[in-house]
Amino acid sequence: MSAARSSSEGRMRARLGPWALVIYGILAFAFLYLPIIIVVIFSFNDSRSTAQWSGFTMRWYQELMGDDQILLSLWNSLFVAVISTLIATVLGTLAALGLERYTFRGKLVVDSAFYLPIIIPDIAMAIMLLIFFNTSGIGFEPWRVSFLGTRLAVPYSVIIGHVAFNIAFVTVVVRARLASMDMTLEEAASDLYANSWQTFRRVTLPILMPGILGGALLAFTLSLDDFVITFFTSGAGFNTLPVRVFGMIKRGVTPEINAISTLMLLASFGLIVFSILSRRRSGSDEEAIQFGL
Amino acid sequence: MPNTIAVELRDVVKAFGSVVAVDNLSLSIPDGEFFSLLGPSGCGKTTTLRMIAGFEMPTSGEIDIAGEAQGYRPAHRRPVNTVFQHYALFPHMTVYDNVAFGLQMQKVDKSAIARRVAESLDLVQLNGMDKRRPKQLSGGQQQRVALARALINRPKVLLLDEPLGALDLKLRKEMQVELKTLQQEVGITFIYVTHDQEEALTMSDRIAVMDQGRVQQLGVPEDIYERPVSRFVADFIGETNFLHCMVMQTAPRGEVELAGGIRVPVSWIREGISPGSQALLSLRPEKINLFELSDTYPTGPDSAVVHGHVERLVYVGTDTHHTIKLDNGATVIARVQNFHVEEEPWEIGEEVIVQWDAAHARVFRE
Repeated sequence: MSAARSSSEGRMRARLGPWALVIYGILAFAFLYLPIIIVVIFSFNDSRSTAQWSGFTMRWYQELMGDDQILLSLWNSLFVAVISTLIATVLGTLAALGLERYTFRGKLVVDSAFYLPIIIPDIAMAIMLLIFFNTSGIGFEPWRVSFLGTRLAVPYSVIIGHVAFNIAFVTVVVRARLASMDMTLEEAASDLYANSWQTFRRVTLPILMPGILGGALLAFTLSLDDFVITFFTSGAGFNTLPVRVFGMIKRGVTPEINAISTLMLLASFGLIVFSILSRRRSGSDEEAIQFGL
Repeated sequence: MPNTIAVELRDVVKAFGSVVAVDNLSLSIPDGEFFSLLGPSGCGKTTTLRMIAGFEMPTSGEIDIAGEAQGYRPAHRRPVNTVFQHYALFPHMTVYDNVAFGLQMQKVDKSAIARRVAESLDLVQLNGMDKRRPKQLSGGQQQRVALARALINRPKVLLLDEPLGALDLKLRKEMQVELKTLQQEVGITFIYVTHDQEEALTMSDRIAVMDQGRVQQLGVPEDIYERPVSRFVADFIGETNFLHCMVMQTAPRGEVELAGGIRVPVSWIREGISPGSQALLSLRPEKINLFELSDTYPTGPDSAVVHGHVERLVYVGTDTHHTIKLDNGATVIARVQNFHVEEEPWEIGEEVIVQWDAAHARVFRE
């Protein structure tokens, strides 16, 4: 009898197992995505209230498009992200090459220093940058530039601040790619009459490209997303989108904020799709397979 | 001018810190030769190849290629090409672009490149594969692309670093034949690095057996196998029996005494071993003849005869390995070809007469 019972218990457990897993999975996804879904839904809510559904509207999006302050902060964000990503990607890639390929005195120190921006809290980095800009007296004057038809005035300090933390991320991503690269490929190129520049241009760079693009996308996202460092290094009167949203939220969550969040979500989603597509185009077959494409 | 020298190394030394990888190496490799550097891992063979290619610079000594001193000339300016151990094909390029790479770097015009790529792929039987990526090819095909990519440049010398190491046994045997045929077809000097003695024996015109950064023996395959000059070479190439002995006389003919006071004639005693010193007699297993007590066997001054008992038999198809316990306590292995299947095999414990010719017995330092 006891044998029969224990076997039926076993069956129970076998049936319970997968169900428990499914429920657990649903809960985990709900925890991650429910807030996002609510934000998206309420961005279409035809009411100032963010607690009660009163019908569908595109009104908040129209208001956003008409809000010069918000649009300006959006262009500021994009401009800072594009410029700091470009600079950080070039510098970060060079740093990765230097750290991975050469041995030199004090390499360990330099190496560790590169991880600092990743490890230390944003707030600490922000304060350090602020003190640096204040004492050195450089940076707060604005770069006046016309970007996508809008006149911007972006403090150099913000761009420098973003580059400072983005280099670290680009370096880490590119180094991972470099470390997995077969060094004899470069020897093969030089054996086939390619000088150092040609070897870099024709072999090393194309093979690193997925890593460089990955690093750049990460930098771009981090830059777009950054609040703390921008807030501390921007001085008065300069807003990126996150800083602007922070300013608005002090007066309560509004449907406009939901709409901005939804648009940013859409942009992130676009970036992910772009990232996967570019991986596939760059011809690294094994990675495409990894992503199931 | 026939018999010009393709590659010459003079007193080449390569040290990595305190480790000497290549120790005072001198080699002269004539045009059109299939030359192998054979040795265990860490013997300096790959370092030697890398110095010829220009990936490493010698610590001292000189390397000439086609009569020109290379000095510190970088790899991309040397008239040699390399086939790498794991092929090192560019993964982001098609087969066509891989093969065309060397010519593109030399700024050969496009139509000439297209023609020569087609020729090269034809040479290694890869027509129609030009649009594939290396990942889409089998190991053997990748190997051929690596060959085509190197040979298309018509180098003075082709350097091959264990190129067949990653292939399975059957494919390796096929590629051995193919490589040798290809080499004769194109007439380019091949310098081939391998740790596989059979590979070196079957393909090479000459072999340099290396150990501890030095050439232990240099010669044609038959020399290396039949007439090894040191214990290392005899041991590394093929199988061999070693018997402890004492040298009795070196001239006019060699004679040694085995354990138990058995005196046998030998054909060759390594220079510098004087009578009265302990030494090692080396004897290939297939050179040993076995006779029953009732058989007549060769006698005379050039025949060595020792009695023993059969201890173990291992049938390996083409031949049978007989482990014989000699009456003086030593053990030898004799390989006897399975010529007549109907012949009665030896029995374990049976008494046997072990005989060999002095010509096959060579004496080295212990």
